[in-house]
Amino acid sequence: MATAAGTTTKWSRHRRLSLSRLGRGAVPYALVAPVVGVMGAILGYPIYSLVRISLQRYGLFELIRHHGVYIGLHNFGTVLHDSVFWHTLLRTLVFAAANVALTLVIGTLIALLLVRLSTWVRLLVTGGLVLVWSTPPVVAVQVWNWMTNVQNGVVNYILTELHVGNYFQHNWYTTSFSQLAMVTTLIVWGALPFVAITVYAALSQVPQELVEAAEIDGARSWRVFLDVTLPVITPVILILTSLSILWDFGVFTQPYLLIGQAHVTTGNYLMGIYLFEEGYVRADFGRGAAISILMLVIVAALSVVYVRRMIKIGEVT
Amino acid sequence: MNARRAHRAGWNVVGIALFAVTVFPVFWMISTAFKTNDQINALTPTWFPLHPTLQHFRDALNKPFFWTDVKNSLVVVLVTVGIAMVLAFLAAVALSKYRFTGRKLFIILVIGVQMLPGAGLIIPLYVVLARFHEVNTLTGVILVYLTGALPFSVWTLRGFILGIPKELEEAAMVDGSTRFGAFARILLPLVAPGLVATSVFAFITSWNEYIFARVLLNDGSKQTVTVWLSYFLGTSRQTDWGALMAASTLTAVPVVVFFLLIQRRIAFGLTAGAVRG
Amino acid sequence: MRVRVVVAAALAVAFAVVATTAGAANGRVQANKLTVWLQVDAQSGWPDVVAAANQAFQQQNPGWTVNVQYQSWGDHLQKFDATIAGNDTPDVIEMGNTEMTAYMASGAFADLTSSKSQFPNAGSWLAGLAKSGMYGGKLYGVPYYAGSRVVTYRSDLFKKAGITKAPTSIAQFTADLQKVARLEKNVKGFTPMYLAGTDWYSALDWVFDYGGSIATTHAHKWVGTLDSPASVAGLTAFKNFFDTVSSRSAATLDEANPAPYTVYSQGLTAAILGPAWFSCCTGTKYKSVTAQFVMPSHVAGKPIPGFLGGSDLAVPAQSGSKSQAVQWIADFTSTANEQSLQTKGNIPNATNLLGNTVNARAAARSWFVPQAKHWVDVENGNILRTMLAQILTGKLSVSQAASTASANIAYTLNQS
Repeated sequence: MATAAGTTTKWSRHRRLSLSRLGRGAVPYALVAPVVGVMGAILGYPIYSLVRISLQRYGLFELIRHHGVYIGLHNFGTVLHDSVFWHTLLRTLVFAAANVALTLVIGTLIALLLVRLSTWVRLLVTGGLVLVWSTPPVVAVQVWNWMTNVQNGVVNYILTELHVGNYFQHNWYTTSFSQLAMVTTLIVWGALPFVAITVYAALSQVPQELVEAAEIDGARSWRVFLDVTLPVITPVILILTSLSILWDFGVFTQPYLLIGQAHVTTGNYLMGIYLFEEGYVRADFGRGAAISILMLVIVAALSVVYVRRMIKIGEVT
Repeated sequence: MNARRAHRAGWNVVGIALFAVTVFPVFWMISTAFKTNDQINALTPTWFPLHPTLQHFRDALNKPFFWTDVKNSLVVVLVTVGIAMVLAFLAAVALSKYRFTGRKLFIILVIGVQMLPGAGLIIPLYVVLARFHEVNTLTGVILVYLTGALPFSVWTLRGFILGIPKELEEAAMVDGSTRFGAFARILLPLVAPGLVATSVFAFITSWNEYIFARVLLNDGSKQTVTVWLSYFLGTSRQTDWGALMAASTLTAVPVVVFFLLIQRRIAFGLTAGAVRG
Repeated sequence: MRVRVVVAAALAVAFAVVATTAGAANGRVQANKLTVWLQVDAQSGWPDVVAAANQAFQQQNPGWTVNVQYQSWGDHLQKFDATIAGNDTPDVIEMGNTEMTAYMASGAFADLTSSKSQFPNAGSWLAGLAKSGMYGGKLYGVPYYAGSRVVTYRSDLFKKAGITKAPTSIAQFTADLQKVARLEKNVKGFTPMYLAGTDWYSALDWVFDYGGSIATTHAHKWVGTLDSPASVAGLTAFKNFFDTVSSRSAATLDEANPAPYTVYSQGLTAAILGPAWFSCCTGTKYKSVTAQFVMPSHVAGKPIPGFLGGSDLAVPAQSGSKSQAVQWIADFTSTANEQSLQTKGNIPNATNLLGNTVNARAAARSWFVPQAKHWVDVENGNILRTMLAQILTGKLSVSQAASTASANIAYTLNQS
């Protein structure tokens, strides 16, 4: 009995060891599996079909028959030979850069301001940011439309009353530049809360002793910011920047609704609108798929630095 | 001391000005919702409607399906956030605590999904969901929202887990707990603020989403509240600004309530960082 | 332990997914269900007509339910495309009459020619509207309702200026408006008539009034005709009218933002051109002094040709309940329902139902867009709006802007 028990234990311990080693190896996969499973199940086929359709002539006629005609890289060719595509790309890059820069700079300034406020003012400002954050873009667009309408927009009224100039019946949407500038104000306004609150959270990780020590040493506040504060919040700012690039490059709802269908032309297209107009409105789904894939490639190229950094950060050693 | 106080007062003034500017659009929306049509259209704006009218709110609430659609939105958002938090947390643990083959690939997948242009996927997604009869159901929308919420949540949670001092976790292990036991008992409470912060973001993004909900849901009784709101604009006839602003206000209320409910935890999450520093 | 936790978590998630799926599955697809897509106008404007049709339909088809789903003009085509791809289309769909051709040409709709006799008043359908539902000699769209454009004006101001009769020509109307303008010259921002510059539905009235057109076919190809002498004369006349009576600042605006009736309700204009229902929203102050007349032509005594906007009802080819769909359309467009639509400021679908409303009188002369597969692309590409803005701001001469637009239109319409 004793021997038997002994062997069993020995055997089972051995077995358990290898199982547990195996188990330990499997744990991360088990942990990741649900996310991969869900994403794969939902996005797998759509992505495959996007790639397939991008290689086909696929319009309304083909859509109804559920059957496209393979035409190789023709869709990509026509898009890349379309001067509208290149103009739109350039415009979108400038637009996204401006939006990302404004959002991050103003958002960080607000976060820095929050640290310096009395508690009640800080609560007030945070509350305001939360209100802004909880306004759906669809709603925000309507409010913007309403505040800047030509007839009795409150913005025109305020500017006129403040003697900034005569803004009676001023139209804020006359040129492509002014249209996109209005879209920028809307997007920056909507994105500020997320950036400001996140940077504020990161700022709270900055060691106060260091800041005070630097101040006592007589360092200028600008230097303190550069040497002490900035290094701590850099990772957060990097993440926010790359997320903002992803969002602003493909933005659709705000420009489309604020500029309005009646005023969307090739002269003020952004990539998101270009994709929608070429792919859906003209019902040329093959071309739309090709544009989607090109957009993905461009965003990936823009984010290469970020992706590499992300893979490195927190590397388990 | 005095100089410092003066300084602070100065910053406070800046803060209040900032508050006024950022909140003005929201204020204007709410104030418009309480004005009569003549006040709304007048050339000289009424700042505060002294005799507020509730007519626009009544009109908005009389639009069919408001309460049903609020309920639908809540179901969609809560289920999405719930599932996303559990799944993302597991994956975040794997990413921050384990080294395994395919880790890089997983990271690239997570980042790559965020780069997909959503508009390009509308029709293929519809086809998949239609094949499994999940069009015009909340489940279909939840599944789509998960693909949006998961990558972001994995990222953020991973950051929060990385922020937890290793010693705490090791101390737990010495106690004889298994590694996962340590996670469950030590990690979870410490990551709670992170979970709250992440779920806030997932909550707001899902609540505000419009395009996929619009395409996937057809029955008035099965739509989300942003789709309900779009009916104030979809007609070829007049836009009723008052009702639209009232409806917009109503749409934002649940989010604000959600914030009020968890605001203590957010504050905790934010100060937790300070304590750590 | 750890494996168990993971498994438990995974199970919990799986359960949650299954539970929500099952919950949602309960209320789904019963057999005998007819799905109808109508525009939201019906929901807010005439829900009683919809209810009456459903009731009639259910009496004839016991056990059937009708599921009416309301859509917005802005995105219903994109939604429809998605349902086509997913084999999940509605059984009946309302289409704007300018949206029909692309879908008819691609085979999206069922051929209703053999059922034509089932539809009430089919023999006397409004010709313009009926034509939008025909393609290659076959019937795909049943006329639902139409709308025309009339002048909504301030009778008090006209009376004060000594005008007692509705103008019978554009020249007389211009003179009348100038009298009103002198009366109100101290009102800041006042324009005698408010016209949104890029509102092509109104502006092209002048083109057709002068005998011009947008495009015609020649040897199986579309040819742009906005640069023809007649069209250019019409556009020039429109520019002159606009410059004389409207506000320069409106040159680049569209008809939706700001709404013309808002400008009117603010007391900043004496007349607006648009659908008859504009009288809805003229503000409490001017309600009692608001009246309407038919926009006159440049030829005295005639109305100007107006754009005949409207809706058709079609049965998607993928519908599994086509005969029921036809029956519902017949119930929905019954004489009683069409008359009820007329009381709500619409034009009914048949000439024998037309009353003597200002709306109906304006429809006596009408114009419509070219019936080309790619016409929607011309609309969505804003080619006409761009041309009008160029003309009215003076950026380009009338003939330059017209020939650019004309070339663009021909190019767009001739795509494969």
